[in-house]
Amino acid sequence: MKNFAKKLTAAALAILLSGAFGACSSGGSASSAIPAGKSGGAQSKAYKSIGVIEYAVNPSLDNCYTGFMKGLKESGYEKGKNLTIDFQNSQADANNAQTIAKTMVAKNYDLVMGIATPAAMALYGAANPTKIPTVFTAVGDPVGAGIVKSLAKPGVNCTGSADILPLESQLKLIRAFLPHAKKIGVLHTTSEPNSTASLKTFQRLAPKYGFEVIDVGVTGSSDVEPGMKTLISKKVDCINNFTDNNVVNHLPGLLQAANEAKIPIFGSEVEQVKNGCLATVGIDYVVLGEQTGKMAAKILNGTVKAADLSVYTVQDGKPVYNKKVMQQLGISLPKAYSSAEKIAG
Amino acid sequence: MNVFFEILVSVLQEGFVYGIMALGIYVTYQVLNFPDLTVEGTFPLGSCVAGVMIASGLNPWFACLAAFLCGAAAGGVTGLLHVKLRITDLLSGILVMTALWSVNLAITSGSAVKAFYNQPTIYTSGPAALIPDSQNTLRALTVAFLFCLAIKILLDLYLKTKSGLLLRAAGDNPRYVVSLGKDPGNMKILGLMLGNGLAALSGCILSQREESADIYCGTGMIVLGLAAVIVGINLFSGIKFLRSTTAVVLGAVLYRGVLMIALQLGLPTNYMKLLMAVLLTIVLVANKTMPTGRRKRHVARTQV
Amino acid sequence: MLPERRSERGTPLLEMRHIDKTFNRGSVSELKLFQDFHFSVAQGCFVCMIGSNGSGKTTLLNLLCGGEEPDSGEILLGGKNITRVPEHLRSRRIGRVFQDPALGTCPQLTILENLSLADHKGKRYGLSRGINRKTIDEYRSKLELLKLGLENQLDLPVASLSGGQRQALALLVCTMTPIDLLILDEHTAALDPSSSKNVMEMTLRFVREKHLTVLMVTHNLRFALAYGDRLVMMHHGRLVLDVCDGEKDALELRDLTARFNEISVEEVDNL
Repeated sequence: MKNFAKKLTAAALAILLSGAFGACSSGGSASSAIPAGKSGGAQSKAYKSIGVIEYAVNPSLDNCYTGFMKGLKESGYEKGKNLTIDFQNSQADANNAQTIAKTMVAKNYDLVMGIATPAAMALYGAANPTKIPTVFTAVGDPVGAGIVKSLAKPGVNCTGSADILPLESQLKLIRAFLPHAKKIGVLHTTSEPNSTASLKTFQRLAPKYGFEVIDVGVTGSSDVEPGMKTLISKKVDCINNFTDNNVVNHLPGLLQAANEAKIPIFGSEVEQVKNGCLATVGIDYVVLGEQTGKMAAKILNGTVKAADLSVYTVQDGKPVYNKKVMQQLGISLPKAYSSAEKIAG
Repeated sequence: MNVFFEILVSVLQEGFVYGIMALGIYVTYQVLNFPDLTVEGTFPLGSCVAGVMIASGLNPWFACLAAFLCGAAAGGVTGLLHVKLRITDLLSGILVMTALWSVNLAITSGSAVKAFYNQPTIYTSGPAALIPDSQNTLRALTVAFLFCLAIKILLDLYLKTKSGLLLRAAGDNPRYVVSLGKDPGNMKILGLMLGNGLAALSGCILSQREESADIYCGTGMIVLGLAAVIVGINLFSGIKFLRSTTAVVLGAVLYRGVLMIALQLGLPTNYMKLLMAVLLTIVLVANKTMPTGRRKRHVARTQV
Repeated sequence: MLPERRSERGTPLLEMRHIDKTFNRGSVSELKLFQDFHFSVAQGCFVCMIGSNGSGKTTLLNLLCGGEEPDSGEILLGGKNITRVPEHLRSRRIGRVFQDPALGTCPQLTILENLSLADHKGKRYGLSRGINRKTIDEYRSKLELLKLGLENQLDLPVASLSGGQRQALALLVCTMTPIDLLILDEHTAALDPSSSKNVMEMTLRFVREKHLTVLMVTHNLRFALAYGDRLVMMHHGRLVLDVCDGEKDALELRDLTARFNEISVEEVDNL
């Protein structure tokens, strides 16, 4: 018992000490433990604190963050000068995102930002009972996710930019690059709402351009490669990506399989084209993030409430293509897109 | 200091919610001696059932009851697989847990997450509404604490009834139950229903706090639950008059608390699972230095 | 399903008729243990059963209790056919004390809890209070009769009792509610000599007080001679000795050992 009492006391002390340190530390490691921010009043450009959760490690989402910081800077908030950022990545784990969100809210930041739907939902859920505003970016269907009431007027203390894909433009692009193609293969993760929503729209629009959509639903990480093989075996002419976190995480593997079968993959975003997809009328996530940054600055200034700030949606994408990939596949650049941005790849 | 207080309150609140699940694991693992992996599926089952019901505007308290019943049903299936089809305990749990993945997706009509922001939940409606919105963290803590306390007391009362005593006997010496003229298999099924009902209820309450349900929230629950039971029983059984059920809830609070504090101190979230494993190992090793007889005695103690 | 009253005069309490039991049927190690085996025990009789290992004693007990099923034949208790009745239902009228003291009680539960459970045998275990304070005095007096000091330690978990104490408790627990047949499965074999003696004396007391019919399996030839009014010896699934009353009293130890030797010699002869 003596031995045990010692251990118990040691454990209790350790906990109390770490608690005390946690409370008082104002430095800590680079990625966390920042002092509680002062509440935002009408003072503009006062010292602010923002908590950011990036859902997964993924170049598209990284672009969002880059854009976000850019947008903030352009609006007068610069990291280190009058802004501290607590940046966390939830490693594609929704539970993780929940935990981090709760801690950020407990720290009473002036604003929280979620990159991608699960992060945004976790933050909104945690911040909703408080006065902390939430902003988001790279959320495919904010209304469907429940974090805003409508795109025009969120109605709740949450707003941001949505990456609703310009699917019709994408279909036009595919038709232009592959005049004779008939089947488009799509991988979508059944549990990602924006992916499912995109699929429905895509299926509705595709026949207009003479396409048949072959869809394989996957439930998780391990299903992606087998799903790809299934699509290839169904002799699709090309594959199109949605803003599907799970699928996009596996892009290198998908590209390898597609290249072996000589099937082009059309990306949903610029970064994907850089990494080997043929082309996209995709979203520039840097621009998307920038918009959220600007909105965040307005909210921090106190000039506008999140509930009244309409959600920014991408109006039209900028077509980009990967020249090297195009040449490898033996495809020639369609005339209509001769002014499209070329990415060397 | 204000931040520390907020974090402490958040930790306690979560600890009490997970404590309910830990009580469920206490019933299956400690009382019944049945390592039950079903909870990885029943915890999100409760979450999804609650999500769907509250999103459609149903009463959140009713959703809690429904979650409990669904969890109990799932536990019953595990029990039937084990008792009637003679599948081993581990495998029975794994089978049901796997099946529940699809069941949960079906409940949410295929989406991984079901949000119900701004709908009335047990944290915002009914008795909870007595505390104003401005005190919402304290309100959340109070609701979680009272709920957990109520469940704990009900469980304690149950374990003192004839049925509860028989359940404990079934976990301790199934032969004895046979000699009493009862089928220990039936008691196992009952225990599994109770344990998983509690796990589902815990998931339901957690999702109401987060105002969204998701099918992934069950991963790691068996580890968390076992850790809470083991930490609770081993650390707190030295204290007289502290019932095992209380010890288990405190174990959940403590275990979760240490994790949260580690995150606060700057531990990258990537290493959280490693820390969980390390903590549990420390507690298990510390347990070995304690005379087993004493530990078991306090585990078995009921106040007559 | 099971009779609550004693069987009619003349009908034995326990009857095993035409029992066949084969193990590992169809394989190289096939063993036809029981072939058209008969065994009956009269009401109120105290039978001692001895026999070498593998003679079928354990299987016989398992067949009686329901742990195993005969390939064919019937088992009747009090005139009712219990051959297909599941084990836990048979336990309501058949009590069994095992050789291993750990099997007869719940080690993690207290003495009081064990007694409360046993007292309720045969009834519904519902949501009423597990332990009734009013019965505590009753239990105390029962425990006093065991003369082991247990009446002052009601809250002690059974795990902390000695083997002899646990067997005594197991006996008490078995016989708390009315039963038709008490089976003692080498119940003193794992105890030291003095505990062994105490438990046997206790057994006798219980049997006399409650007028129980007993089937006691033992390896201890002295006990077999000293106790009971009928002695049977099993060998290869057959009864090779069956004496009672006067005949039994006249038997001595050397008679038994001689009989054992005879059987072994027969075996050698048969090889």
